[in-house]
Amino acid sequence: MVRSKRNGDLYFGIICGLAALCGIGPLLWIVYDLVKLGAGRISPGFFTDAVRESGRAGGIAPVLHSTFLIVLCCLGAAIPPGLGVAFYLTENGENRFRKWLRASVDLLATIPSIVFGLFGMAFFCRFLGLGFSILSGGLTLACMILPVLIRTTVAAVEALPDHLRSSATALGLTKTTILLRVLLPGATPGIVIGITIGTARALSETAALIFTSGYATRTPDSLLDSGRSISVHIYDLAMNIPNGAQGASASALVLLIALLLINFLTNFFSELWLKNLHSSK
Amino acid sequence: MAEESALIEVKNLSINYDDFAALRDVHLTIQKGNITALVGPSGCGKSSFLQSLNRLTDLIPGCQTTGEMILGGKNILSPGCDVLSLRRKVGMVFQKPNPFPQSIRRNFEIPLREHGFSKLETTDRMEDSLKRVGLWNEVSNRLSRSAANLSGGQQQRLCIARALALDPEVILFDEPCSALDPHASGVVEDLISSLRGSVTVVIVTHNLAQARRIADHLAVFWVRGGSGTIVETGATDALFTSATDPDAKSYLTGIRG
Amino acid sequence: MSRLRSDRVLSFVLNAAALLCGALVLGIVLFLSIEAAPTIFSGKISAFFTDEKWQPGSERDPQFGIFSMLLASVLITLLAAILAVPVGICGAIFRVFYAPESLAKWQDRFLELLAGIPSVIFGFWGLSVIVPFINRYHPPGQSLLAAGIVLALMILPTIALTTKSALTAISPSLMAGAAALGLSRPAQILQVAIPTARKGIAAGCALGLGRAIGETMAVVMVCGNIAQIPHSVFDPVRPVTSTIALEMGYATAEHKSYLYAAGLVLVLMTALFLLVRIRKGASQW
Repeated sequence: MVRSKRNGDLYFGIICGLAALCGIGPLLWIVYDLVKLGAGRISPGFFTDAVRESGRAGGIAPVLHSTFLIVLCCLGAAIPPGLGVAFYLTENGENRFRKWLRASVDLLATIPSIVFGLFGMAFFCRFLGLGFSILSGGLTLACMILPVLIRTTVAAVEALPDHLRSSATALGLTKTTILLRVLLPGATPGIVIGITIGTARALSETAALIFTSGYATRTPDSLLDSGRSISVHIYDLAMNIPNGAQGASASALVLLIALLLINFLTNFFSELWLKNLHSSK
Repeated sequence: MAEESALIEVKNLSINYDDFAALRDVHLTIQKGNITALVGPSGCGKSSFLQSLNRLTDLIPGCQTTGEMILGGKNILSPGCDVLSLRRKVGMVFQKPNPFPQSIRRNFEIPLREHGFSKLETTDRMEDSLKRVGLWNEVSNRLSRSAANLSGGQQQRLCIARALALDPEVILFDEPCSALDPHASGVVEDLISSLRGSVTVVIVTHNLAQARRIADHLAVFWVRGGSGTIVETGATDALFTSATDPDAKSYLTGIRG
Repeated sequence: MSRLRSDRVLSFVLNAAALLCGALVLGIVLFLSIEAAPTIFSGKISAFFTDEKWQPGSERDPQFGIFSMLLASVLITLLAAILAVPVGICGAIFRVFYAPESLAKWQDRFLELLAGIPSVIFGFWGLSVIVPFINRYHPPGQSLLAAGIVLALMILPTIALTTKSALTAISPSLMAGAAALGLSRPAQILQVAIPTARKGIAAGCALGLGRAIGETMAVVMVCGNIAQIPHSVFDPVRPVTSTIALEMGYATAEHKSYLYAAGLVLVLMTALFLLVRIRKGASQW
């Protein structure tokens, strides 16, 4: 009896361990394939040369340029309202609008990215007349990462110890001062985490961009020019360009490394934040 | 004992949390420059009373205060009261030390600059009040380091210094020693004692021996009919030897509570 | 007084941001509806949902029925769920109850990284690894199965990580109580821990599946994109999202309005998953 129980435990553990491997294995597999296929293409020139033969040759310099601008537009447009909404939620008492607002942030977070693409095309490209442009793409992505920014900021403010607010209030500080000089500095690491997660999302996004910032492979002259982000570049090479797989793998590898760095940064900030919170409690 | 003149006059104060009456029909006179200790068992409204003195009760959803609290001819509880300047006049020190997790200097700059002091005045006031709490020598060479790195006792003294820097008429202490080790607790207690005469102190404490050591006046809180109220007030020595209320008497002599 | 004015400015700014955000959600639904209006009011709305034929290019008689695509979306999501939910939950059990601390930490790291891989890379990898593999045994390879596998991999980290946090949130005294009753470890886990954490696990699955049904890039590259009702998992299919991604670029007039209507349908479906999550109490923040 005891024996069979122990065996049961062992088998169950092994099954679960195999399941855990299923979560880890594919990552290594994907990275291995990308490296095998694409590492040969990567050289210093890959980062500085223009796209040639639709990506089968040359580099990805204009793509990186466009990607950078799109992410910049996205963050610039998303951070101020994101913080505003988050502080609205933390600084006001519970009311019906607040409940509704939280539900709508949740809804915004669940809307598929392709639908954001549809909306961006209808609203930014045509209604506002921005056309297929870096700006349209960035603004569309801004709508998409807004919920992440709001939620991480709210979580960061709510994780601050309660006594911070009461001690600031007891000193007769205005709400503005409490918010800007006491709560904001305390929540900054958490907010930075939200921004890094949002950046990663923006870098990864394809579906919301194909109808808003377009496919152009040349270096954009202004924010109103069309330009493809690196994810769109990978998609186009893999789907539409015969023999584009090598270029796609190389670009995917670049994107993956960038995301890895961002993930590393995020972890770094979370640890810093936890340490800060811990020492102030 | 400092000379007697009423600074705060509390009349008929009641505090409700939604439907629950936490405190009912409280009358109390707080003498200027004295130390008044609020004692009594847990859950009889001492902290609520203390928080209403600088309207920190505003932060609690569903909390309602009725009655009068007169300070300097004005009712603290009236809706028209300027709570920001009230809180400047009535400082507060909490049970758990709560400096802002920023530099020691910023802990003074944030409130002082807010209340309109110049940079120069801020530096002077910081130094003065840190000296007043005996912390200056310990921290003068690390003012730009985080206050979170100080020990618990140092943090609590920093909080007292931060309150003192605003020149308050009253400082409210909510069990300021109960989260500290015995040594730090003694230092803070002596510090509070030294404020007598210059600042009016209202202190909530569960430590009767401490109340007896530092307080000039005592207000004993008790639960009556489901709500907290003050059952007896008086000079500390008189109350400890001859309280008339049976609950207060048994509490102060250590029989109950 | 100027101090109070700064408070008023702040409150104005925050209110404005909140209103903007609320307006954004309404705006998205509004703009999709405006664009889809010709479809909604065309009187052919029931045919839109029930018709199997999608032939937007036909000059004489274009057909716009998304039934086969809705079915494909649902089937792909279902397949992904069948693959990912048990594996994700078992992986999380290993992480919480079996793995030594050092290994557990690595497992979390890997899952976080896997969760961070862009869908376009999943799609590309599926296209260059999974599709040829299936093709070898059951051509053409681009199929319901390929899409299901790729999506399962994508939502696996979500399910595993949420299950993990639901399991770690169980109070240790509960597990100690179960152990004190002489339950074996598998029994403790399956009969005490999992039922206790079921709400959190269900919410995590809903989150993953909501993502799966709205996923575009990973699916469009491996599903074959033929609008038909599949007869086996090896048949190519075309879900709603792929259709929008593939045709939006050239669609005009009526065709376009149908695509926007399909977008609205997607929003409704994902909102349904959100509703499940709110019901499970996972959306409290």
